[in-house]
Amino acid sequence: MSSLPADCPLPRYNQKRVPGVYVSYPFCAQKCTYCNFASGVYPAAVELQYRDALQGEIRAHRWDWRPETVYLGGGTPSALAAGDWRSLLGEIPGRPWLEATMEAAPGSITAEKARAWAECGINRVSLGVQSFVETEIRRTGRKHTAQTVAEEMRILGEAGIANCNIDLIAGLSGQTAASWRESLEWIERLAPAHVSVYMLEVDGDSRLGKEMLAGGARYGAAETPGGDATADFYEAAVERLDALGIARYEISNFARPGCQSRHNLKYWKLEPYTGFGADAHSFDGHSRRRNPESVEAYLQGQDAETSPAHIEEERFFVGLRLMAGVCPEPDEWRRFAAPIRRFLHTGLLETAGGVLRLTSRGVLLSNEVFQEFLLS
Amino acid sequence: MDREFIRNFSIIAHIDHGKSTLADRLLETTGALSQREMMEQVLDTMDLERERGITIKAHAVRLNYRADDGNLYQLNLIDTPGHVDFSYEVSRSLQACEGALLVVDASQGVEAQTLANTYLALHHNLEIIPVINKIDLPAAEPERIREQIETIIGLDARDAVLASAKQGIGIHEILEHIVHLVPPPKGSLDAPLRALIFDSWFDAYRGVIILVRVLDGRLRMKQKIRLWSNGQVFEVEGLGYQAPKATPCEELSAGEVGFLFANIKTVSDAKIGDTIVDHENPAAEPLPGFEEIKPMVFAGLYPVESHEHGLLRDALEKLRLNDSAFNFEPENSVALGFGFRCGFLGLLHLEIVQERLEREFNIDLITTAPGVRYRVTNTMGEIVEVYNPTKFPDPSEIKQIEEPIIDAIVITREEYLGGILKLLEEKRGVQKKFEYVGGGRVMLTYEMPLNEIVLDFYDRLKSASRGYASLDYHFSGFRVSPMVRLDVLVAGDPVDALSLVVHRDFAYDRGKELISRLRRLIPRQMFEVALQAAIGNKIVARENIAAMRKNVLAKCYGGDISRKRKLLEKQKEGKKRMKRVGRVEIPQEAFLAVLKVGQGEGDE
Repeated sequence: MSSLPADCPLPRYNQKRVPGVYVSYPFCAQKCTYCNFASGVYPAAVELQYRDALQGEIRAHRWDWRPETVYLGGGTPSALAAGDWRSLLGEIPGRPWLEATMEAAPGSITAEKARAWAECGINRVSLGVQSFVETEIRRTGRKHTAQTVAEEMRILGEAGIANCNIDLIAGLSGQTAASWRESLEWIERLAPAHVSVYMLEVDGDSRLGKEMLAGGARYGAAETPGGDATADFYEAAVERLDALGIARYEISNFARPGCQSRHNLKYWKLEPYTGFGADAHSFDGHSRRRNPESVEAYLQGQDAETSPAHIEEERFFVGLRLMAGVCPEPDEWRRFAAPIRRFLHTGLLETAGGVLRLTSRGVLLSNEVFQEFLLS
Repeated sequence: MDREFIRNFSIIAHIDHGKSTLADRLLETTGALSQREMMEQVLDTMDLERERGITIKAHAVRLNYRADDGNLYQLNLIDTPGHVDFSYEVSRSLQACEGALLVVDASQGVEAQTLANTYLALHHNLEIIPVINKIDLPAAEPERIREQIETIIGLDARDAVLASAKQGIGIHEILEHIVHLVPPPKGSLDAPLRALIFDSWFDAYRGVIILVRVLDGRLRMKQKIRLWSNGQVFEVEGLGYQAPKATPCEELSAGEVGFLFANIKTVSDAKIGDTIVDHENPAAEPLPGFEEIKPMVFAGLYPVESHEHGLLRDALEKLRLNDSAFNFEPENSVALGFGFRCGFLGLLHLEIVQERLEREFNIDLITTAPGVRYRVTNTMGEIVEVYNPTKFPDPSEIKQIEEPIIDAIVITREEYLGGILKLLEEKRGVQKKFEYVGGGRVMLTYEMPLNEIVLDFYDRLKSASRGYASLDYHFSGFRVSPMVRLDVLVAGDPVDALSLVVHRDFAYDRGKELISRLRRLIPRQMFEVALQAAIGNKIVARENIAAMRKNVLAKCYGGDISRKRKLLEKQKEGKKRMKRVGRVEIPQEAFLAVLKVGQGEGDE
């Protein structure tokens, strides 16, 4: 290790074993058309059952480390009563956490709720805005408006939660260069600390993706911009956000200085984290564990699946997602000499001072790069 | 057995007209097989045959039948392949018989293939017994079919047996007809041995097993035999017949059918149609009709993984042990590396070999577009045979090119005529005959280049007729044609495996079409790729594949790394199945795009 530069972004193995905690709450009021995540709409009774099971799982956990970050992800965790979160979070040691994020759907945040969240330790909210343009929002199945988001950010700020993220999706149905600009203007107006820009994933796991693959027209599939346009929107966002002082630090994540998501950074830096709930993932530095994917299987108490982590590959295909890049060791430079040379030559990777990172073009073609770092 | 009580016959039928079921029923009725054994159709033994419902190898089964006249007859059922590619084998099987059942589906009627094989049988002076099958089906029109047999084939069908092999109707009548109508074998017991080889295959323990029909004399165990065409001498080590289980015997005499093995190492030594004679006392003349089978259709076979080249060669050699009709020689493609140029009897034969290689030998293959053999006369006046587009001489050295021509018969329903005539026209066909054959059916006789048949003709014919057209053809000779080689350049580099030979008048259109098809098949690369079609130095079509803009996974779902890994692995695996030509990854389908050229754009 001593041969590495002192500020190397990603050492091979993590010395700092300060874990993050992820709590999965895969329930939504409705399933968004673009969503390809294992979440959905369930009867209220199941939600109650789930809450109890979750509480049980967290309580039974043996805490070897004191968590540094907490992330409540979904689904729509903001829909669960604040009181329930208070008791769930009460099971997790380490409060006050360095960062504790609540994922929230705009349109349901009240002053009371915000205060309650703050009281139980939440200090960051990630808003699933996706778009500030009404036609686009409606097609996804969402009900909020730009004004709702503005108002709720104000409410959160008053409750002491000024650290907000806004999610945007590039490539939504009906999106145009002009409408995308409008969403970016709202970012400028609302000035969040953190922005995530996701390019729409078209696959068979979402209703919209399925419809697009089938060549149908439901969910606005026919008006969904193509991959090239989506890439253009994304690049426009990179430029615009950068001008606003919100710099890209990961393929889909942008932040003002010092406001990067500490929890998410753990994933990319291969630091440990423990997940609770259905389809929650854990990593202890050596192996990866996955809880049962469906709510039903989770409630039936099915076992989690554990598999060894392949750090030597993950370092690259996960680590290179960070704009800071990775610091390959001498044997890694040798092992991957051919693809590294090729991508340096074709301008998808760049290197300086022992650090290897994606170029802007490389970001958009990152899967092409990552594949070459799989050993199999 | 006294020849008076021997009957040798085969069954002529179109695919799905019920040949296998009828054969099973005959076996069952004569007690050759129990009901339980009938569960599986026994005559078609290769998996592929059963799946495609096509008999590829001929077999011969001996049935013992006690006829109504009280006598016990030996009936030898000689199975024939049912596809145009194998017409030579069919003719040899028919040569081994004195009679044939002509099985026609009571609702479908006579098809082109049936017609061709019936003519072959008539040519061999076989007694033909028409059987109208599937009369139990609601759509059956036995009277119409009877009339059709008379009009199309010119056969007296008054006494045609009305049957349903499935229901067991008419089986007894068929057996009695065989006994009374099919003549007993002629030939002399005392003449020197002459036996016809009508099938052979390779057995790992016995070497080559030969199916024979003894025409004259006797074939005995330990006898020294000589193969007429190559003069090789062998000693008979095994003799017997299939009943349907292999049953050994000491002797097969004139009129009888059975198998022998004699430590013969490869099927190419025991050629179908060849005559077996006695080594000590050879007959003066061989049996008529022997031909060296010459492949008609050629394609390059390449392993997807170049290190499997040796594996492919071994597999081809093994297949050839069992299939003397196909041949191969090494060839080297700039685009695809080391592979083999293989010759086949026809397209089905090609498909069968290809499937067996993939299925039995587990080799991932790239097959280049099939082509035919051209006769090229160069400016020096020499004639060279060219069956690989890349070996086409430089146009400046070509005096003339002749291409193989076939006579094709298509039988279809009137309502599909429009599409079919258009297709035949497009495929450079010249109409020879147009006949209404009753029941709203039409028989077309066309002269066309074989080259046009090997490029997707079957599929097109099928879709133009919704499956209600049957095709038969035979080679009729060579004709001078202005053929040119169309080359494809990918990112500026010629891809030899994509070259094809086309008629000059179609070159421009086909080039354009091929390029536009390739543009859709070749995925975007990291850089822009130019696709060009060229004749010599002249570019006739060009399109660009835009550079790939994005291939990126957005989200990290709660630290789910496995999801990302799976996607990356899938993408990487997909690439492995592509061929890297220069800097461009080309999927296997692209090499077959050539096949689809000429069928327009509206089909995707």
